[in-house]
This record gives sequence, C-alpha cells and structure tokens, in this order.
Amino acid sequence: MSDVVVRCSGISRTYQEESVPVQALQDVDFEVCKGEFISLAGPSGSGKSTLLNIIGGLDRPDKGDVEVAGVKLNDLNESELSDLRLQKMGFVFQAYNLIPVLSARENVEFIMQLQGVSPAERASRATAVLEQLGVEGMADRRPGELSGGQQQRVAVARAIVTRPVLLLADEPSANLDSATTRELLEMLRTLNETHGVTIVAATHDPIVMSYARRQVNLRDGRIVEDKQNEAA
Amino acid sequence: MGEIAQQDRKAADDLDAEAGPAGPSGSSVAAIAWRNLWRNRRRTWLSAGGIAFAVWMLVIALSMQDGSFEIMIDNGSRLLLGHIQIQHPDYQDDARIENTIVDATVLQRRVAGVNGVVSVAPRLQAFALVSSGERSFGAQILGVDPALEASWSTLPTMISEGRYLQRSGEVVVGTTLARNIGVSVGDEIVILGTARKGGVAAVVAELVGTFDTGQSELDRAIVQLPIADFREGWGIAEDEVHVLLVIASSVGRSEKIAGALGSGNSDWRALDWRALMPEAQQTIEMKAIGAYFFFALIATIVTFSVVNTFMMTIFERTREFGMLVAIGMKPGAIMLQLQLEAVWLALLGVGSGWLIAAGFILPLMSFGVPLPEEAGDLLRRYNMPERMYPTFSYTAAWLSAVIMLVGTQLAALIPGLRIRKLRPVEALRAH
Amino acid sequence: MPFKLLLQLGWRNLFRHKRRNFMLLLAICVAVAGVVVMNSLIRGFQFDMQEAAVANLTGHVKMLAPGYLDDPNIEKSFTLVKDWQPHLPGVELEGWAPRIRIPAVIMSERETRGIQLVGIDPARENISFLDKVELAGDMLSDADDRRVVIGKELARQLETEVGRRLVIITQGIDGRNREAGFRIAGTFDADGKGLEKLFVFTGVTALQNLVDAEVITEVSIKVVSQLDESLAQQGLADSFLDLDVLSWQQLEPQAAAMFVFADSAIFIWFLVMMGALIFGLMNTLITAVMERIKEFGMLRAVGMRPRAVVVQVVVESTLIMLVGVVSGTLIGWLLVLWLSDGGIDLSAYAQGVELAGMRSVLMPRLLVEDLLLVSSLSLVFGILAALYPARRAVKINPLEALRR
Repeated sequence: MSDVVVRCSGISRTYQEESVPVQALQDVDFEVCKGEFISLAGPSGSGKSTLLNIIGGLDRPDKGDVEVAGVKLNDLNESELSDLRLQKMGFVFQAYNLIPVLSARENVEFIMQLQGVSPAERASRATAVLEQLGVEGMADRRPGELSGGQQQRVAVARAIVTRPVLLLADEPSANLDSATTRELLEMLRTLNETHGVTIVAATHDPIVMSYARRQVNLRDGRIVEDKQNEAA
Repeated sequence: MGEIAQQDRKAADDLDAEAGPAGPSGSSVAAIAWRNLWRNRRRTWLSAGGIAFAVWMLVIALSMQDGSFEIMIDNGSRLLLGHIQIQHPDYQDDARIENTIVDATVLQRRVAGVNGVVSVAPRLQAFALVSSGERSFGAQILGVDPALEASWSTLPTMISEGRYLQRSGEVVVGTTLARNIGVSVGDEIVILGTARKGGVAAVVAELVGTFDTGQSELDRAIVQLPIADFREGWGIAEDEVHVLLVIASSVGRSEKIAGALGSGNSDWRALDWRALMPEAQQTIEMKAIGAYFFFALIATIVTFSVVNTFMMTIFERTREFGMLVAIGMKPGAIMLQLQLEAVWLALLGVGSGWLIAAGFILPLMSFGVPLPEEAGDLLRRYNMPERMYPTFSYTAAWLSAVIMLVGTQLAALIPGLRIRKLRPVEALRAH
Repeated sequence: MPFKLLLQLGWRNLFRHKRRNFMLLLAICVAVAGVVVMNSLIRGFQFDMQEAAVANLTGHVKMLAPGYLDDPNIEKSFTLVKDWQPHLPGVELEGWAPRIRIPAVIMSERETRGIQLVGIDPARENISFLDKVELAGDMLSDADDRRVVIGKELARQLETEVGRRLVIITQGIDGRNREAGFRIAGTFDADGKGLEKLFVFTGVTALQNLVDAEVITEVSIKVVSQLDESLAQQGLADSFLDLDVLSWQQLEPQAAAMFVFADSAIFIWFLVMMGALIFGLMNTLITAVMERIKEFGMLRAVGMRPRAVVVQVVVESTLIMLVGVVSGTLIGWLLVLWLSDGGIDLSAYAQGVELAGMRSVLMPRLLVEDLLLVSSLSLVFGILAALYPARRAVKINPLEALRR
C-alpha cells in the first residue's frame, strides 16, 4: 500500500454561500498513487478545487477521511496541517502568488528557510531547481519584473524545491497563453516522468488534461469519470 | 514517519521562536519586513510622516520648555533669591526680625565647603520706611555683603544710574522707588524701622546707585545696604543672619544640595527654589499636565492612523497571506513579520522626527528664539530673558521613541490578530 | 454628473470599508474632541485672567491724572464736578467707582508693611473684586467710614485682628506725612494672597480728610458688553482732555499679553492636532482611490468628467470629516459639561495660578464661535487632504484601468 499517496474515502463538503448551502462534494472516494499525473477536470462549481484544497489540507471535509502520505488529516490541528503542507506538499496557484518583495531565488529559498534548511544547502538547491526549470537567468529579479510564464516557473520551482510527496496545482494555466501553457506542462511532465513527482492539477483547460496521464471528471460534487489518458 | 513529523515540528518551532541555527535568522525576517514596508512607498512615508510629526512636536515642545524653565529658575535665583536659602525654621512663614540663624559664620564656612556650592552670601532683611524730605515709602531693606554680592548676583549689573554698593554709609534702591520718594544719586536717604529689641532702627545713607530689574514689584520695593550698617541700625549681633543664600553650580545640583543640607538639625532649614519660588514650581507643574494631555492626544491620533495603515496593508495582502499559510507558514510567523514591519515603520518615523527636530533646534540653540515685543513684561515677570535658547531634550527624544514604538506595535497587533482567523482557501480567492 | 449622485456615492463608499473608516473616524473624534476640550479650558483661563485683571481695581477703562502711573501719589490727582455721572451715549455701564489710591505704610504694635491705601465709596465697588470676597467682620458702611478693611494675609503678617487699631502713614497734599490711627472693620479673604497683602481700604471721604484735599486719583468704569470698551474709552477721553483714559489692556499689559497668547495657543493646538490627523486621512484617501482604479476607470469610460472625479474624492473626504467633526464636537461638548460640574480644582497650584492671574477653580468655557471655527476649519483640512488623492484619481486612464 506504500505507493498510495492520497486516500479520500466518502468525503462530503457543504459551503454556505450567501446563506444558501452549496454541496461542493458528495461522498467522494479518491486515491492517488505515487508517480501519478492526474487532472481533476470539470466546470466551475463541480467541486474540483474543493477536492484539491481538501487533499492539500487547506480545507476540511464535513464527512469522510483524508489520508496523505500515511497521515490522517482529520486528526491534525491547524498547526500540524501547516507543518504537513510545508514538508510534504508543493503548491502552484493560478495567480503564481509569489512574494512580491523577494527575488525569484529568494522566493525559492524562503520556503526552505521556513523548513529550517541550512543556508549553504538552500543556495545550492535553489540554483539547481532554477536551472532545472530554465529560469536561472532571472534568479535575481523580483516577480514584478518577470513574465507570467516565468513567474509560474518560479512558482513551480518553489513548489518542488522541498521535494514534496505531492505537487498540487490549482488552474496552473489560467493566466497563461497556450504556448506558455505547453512549455509549463512539458516541464511538469518531465518532473513527473524523470523525477517521479506526483502531480494533481485541478483545471478546466483541455491542454492540461491532455498532458495528464489520468483524468478525473467531476460534476456537481461527484466523480463522474475516472480514466487513464493513453495519449499522454 | 513519526520521526519525520517530530523533525517537522521542531523546524516549525524554530521559526516561531526565531531561534536555532537552521531556522531563518531574525535578520532575514526583518529584511523581508523592511522590503514589505516599501511596497507602498507613499503610504509608508505618510505613516512615518505622522509618527515623525508627533516626535517632532514632542521634542520641540519639551526642548523649548526645558530650556526656558531652567533659565527662568536660574535667573530668578541669581537676581535676589539664591538657589537655596538657609533660614531659621520659622522664618519663611514668619519673617520676624528675631528669627535669625546664630553662629552664621561657622555655618557659612561649612556650607561653602560642600561639593557643588559656588557661593554663600549672608543676608539680613527687614521692612522699613524709606524717606527723603517729606516723602516716605515702605520697602524691603536687604543688608548684603557688597563684594560677595557682586560675585554672584545679577542685581549689581542692573545699575541704571550711579554704581553698586562699595562701602559703609551707602545705599542702592530701585529706580521706581527713587522716583517715588523723589531722590537721585548723591542724595541722602533716611531709613526708619523697628529694631530688634524694639525701639527705632534709623539709618542715614547716601544713595550711590539705582537699579532697574525690569520687574516693577522689585524696583518699587527693594533697598540694599551693607550688612554691617544693617547690624548697627537694627541692633543685630555679629554672628546672626536671617538668610544664607547659596548659589550652586546648577539648578539641578541645588535641589540635591538642599536635600542634603536640610536633614538632621532643628536650628535652621534649607529651602530650594521650589520652596522659594512656589509660583514657578507650580507653573511648571501646571504646564507639565497640559503637555501630557497634549502628547497623549497626538500619540492616540497617530496610533489610530497607523492602525488604519496596517488594516489597509493586511486587507491588500490577504491573498499573499493565504498563500503563505497554504505553503505552510504559520499565522504566528506572519504576525511576527507584521510586528517587525511596525518596528521598522516606527524607527523610520522616529528617526526622521529626530532629524527634523534636531535640524530645528540646533540652530536655535546658538541663535536663540527672539520673542515678541509684547511678551516682554510677561517674560520679565517670569524672570525670562528676551531671547529663548532651547536645549535639545534627550528625554523627549527617548520618550517619543518609546511611545511611538509601543503605539505602532499595538497598531499592528490589533488588525494583525485577524490573521489568526485567516482561512487560506478564502484568502487565496481574495483579490 | 449631478452633485446629489456624487454625494450618494460618497456616502455609500464610507460603508465599503467600515472598519477602516471607523478607525479614521476615531482619530478625527479624538482630535476634534481634544481641541474642543482644550479650547474651552484655554477660554476659561483667558476669561478668568481678564476678569481678575478687570476686578483688580482696574475696570475696563480707568481715568487717571497724567503722571500717576509713573509716580503714584496724591499730588497726581483730580476732582470731579459735584454729582458727576459718566455720560456715554450708547454704552451700557455695569458701574463706575471713584477712588483715591496712594502708597502708605501700615503699622501694628508688632510689624510694619508697605501697602496701597485705597479710599472707596463701598456702594460703588460692585465692579471690583471687593464685591466677591469673603469678609470677616464688617464692610465699610459708606464713603465717610473712618475704619479700614484689610486682607486676611496682611492681618496675619501684622499679627492683628478685627476691632484692633493700626497706624497708617501716608503723604498729604502738601507733601508732608500724615499719620493716623484706624480701627479694623473687617478682613477680606480674596482668591490670591497678593491682593490680601497689597490693598487696605477705607472710606474715600475719610481719606480725603486725612490728606487734606477733596480729590480722587482714579475713576474705574466697567461696561456690560466688552464690545463697548473702546467706545467708552473714546467717550471719556473726549470729555476729559486733561486726564489719561486707559483701557485694562494698557493698565495690565501682562494680562493683555497673556490674553493674546491664549488666542494663539488655541490655534497652535488646532493646527498640531490637524497636522497629526492629516497624515492618516491622506493615507486612507489615497488607498481608497488606488483600490478603486478600475471603478474610476469605468466611471471615466462611461463619461464621468475629470472634474467630477475630483469632486467625488473631495466629497468623500468631506463627508468623513463631517461625521468625525460632528461626533468629535459632541464628545468634546459632553466632556466640557462633565468638567464644568465643579470645574477643575487648581488649588494645589495656588501660587502658580495667582502668578498667571487665574482663579483656583478653572471653569471651562465653550464658545459657539470657537466650535464653529473648529468645525469649519476641520472641513477645510478635510478638503486640503483630499486634493492630492483627487489629483491621483484624475490621472487614471480609463483604458488602462479597465485592462487591469
């Protein structure tokens, strides 16, 4: 069972939106195995972001159990969830969300600083990952001086530099043109194939779906389809 | 697994405690805070400007006051009163001619030897009728040691006509009194009072000079003559005085000396300027209360403004905070960062405030502040010079820094508490 | 865009960031309430000081023989025609009092002091501090009363009491000294010891008999409304060409200087408070503009004129200032009411208070003019603070703003 990274069983989540209850997830079972590249697809409001947030420990289900890397998230308090996210997960957000006052390199080093990595190791790991993602030339620029694609690469660099068990991406291509999206996805695929990084991306972009090897479709809070993508 | 979790927790604790060699050094969190401050230059400068303004006001106001109070007291002391007066225990409340200090010579010598004492002058004083021809006025007669008086008192320098006392048989009076009794320098004056043992104390002396202190109460009512003439006229023994005036090296010093001198005897007591010039002491206290009120208000206004600044900052950075929480930073660490930003902001404001205040005060310390013409009488009444020389108040500088640091810490904390309740999922959706 | 709409928009925007605007309101309230309270204290002080100066045997206007101020003696005196009445058309008088006021020496069995001997008509002294003092024993019965009323402190220093006799020496009209015994009718307890030590009162006719001249040295006049001061002074100066007619400001230059100083103190306070406030106000307004770039862009795109943008920012600033000023004034007013209940006891600083010419209980005085001035100037500050943010808002390019 060691190759199961995420296990969700029977999770439900209801929001109060303007005092109207919205059922975001209904009794969902979902598993992610090590080395997978999964796209969570579906229209807005289908529950894909909620599922991603629950896996990431950012949100809690009303019902059901979530287990990530052998740890049951239901039992953790906020502080422990923070630690889990810091040590085991990488996040890529749709709006890049880099710290604007820090340079690309400092953004990457920052998360290692939080982890308590020594300065020497931080520097070498940051250099390596920025090189790997082809943005080593931009290392000393601040996010405001980078293009959208470059910012997203730095965001990915920050997400993987901690060698997370799981890389979670929420609409990673939302602010990118299709060429840049393809570049980003090539990079994610490389990370997945050659470095064995497990990736779960919530998206409604067909290009992203086409790169993922497994596609899970949600609609109205339920998984309606779970298929392997042979073409990818 | 458990081992890793433990390690993880340790790393996180290090961050919270801001310690441990592997954790982020304080300087780097401080550095991020510093850079964050400059994300919105205009806002930072406006907030720092408010702080600087408050600091500036505080330093300027206290510098002007400190300087003027000290001068006011010192001038009053050096004119007639001395920094300290050693008197018979009852003399201050009941200035009777028989309330003298005996063995004054010994005491005078002893006090002169005290560290910080510059000069000790004997005084005999009484009320008497001063007349020339048919005109008479009542006045305070002061028996002084002319040579000694010239060494510390400013009165001998205020002679407007003639000269100051030099030898026996001479007298000086205020200009107004001279005019009132219709005498001028060279004329003879008769002084009639009640002697020690009852009977009439009569002194006839030549007016050698008139003085103009600018305070009409004094110019109308003070007469000085040599102390030996006073003794003879009023029949007071060689070793008795009413008052020993002490001049110290500074006003501040004199308070301590008076305290040390005054303890442990019943033959005399030592009064410092606070007892000799109660009106000055009380004026200072009243002004201080007004000043506290003033600064409390400014500090409150500025703190509210800074609270507002931080509220806006936090509002605008909600998404960033959401991201930081999402990638595993703890709310406590984010709050710490905000507090550090507040420290930087306060330092920036306080520093600028100091600089501006120093830029104002330093030139004034050498050139003085000319005071308006109409204030002249008022200033003389308070023993003030016509130009005011402020002294940079270090107390105000530190006090303002502390007030502003505390104020900004509170200002950051109040809105910062909301970060604890931050929900990353919603925060990330904020724009 | 009609102003009414801008006003409505501005009002709603105030509630967009309730917490933020609430903090700003608090700051404005503190500033305005502080200014109002301080204002009323300074006015109270000013009023006290003026009252004390006028009551100190000065009056609003005083007639003196030329040279009396430099050399106050009985030779510098004048006479009034019999049954003289001040004739000042258009000026309502509170009262007037003729006096002889000359230096004298007073002696008890034990002590001697220099004093001002004042001959009065007791019935006319409703205009001076004598009207309000606490008296032990009797007041002088009339202008012919040959007794004296002295201060409590002087009585203490002379070690004497009501009913005992004192000897007074003063100069007669011929320049020779007169010496006479007086019985003490009563002792007065004034607000300050200075007055108690300085003045000794007797009947004016009695004193005229002593100095051998039916003259007086001064006439004090107190008007009902201060606005008539200069009119009264002018009127008297016109009818007494050979006398000095002086106002209280000329007679008590120290009090007058303090009075002017208090006027400026009010402004300094106001400016400092507004200075501290304006930084926060500008900060909030700029943020309000910057976070609404898109909105302003849209408004411009749909045809709002640049001037209307300026007006909108100014309206918002003025509104928030208005709300702050109204509530601040209200709070300040309540605080002043609270302080007025009994006043502020300054008796611990009695001598400092006396030096400054104040009374030992400070009563705050709230003037409607001051309130109006503070509120209107605050609104001016609100508009000034809005100008820079408004300029920033005008610079917004609609196309760019919408693309963000």
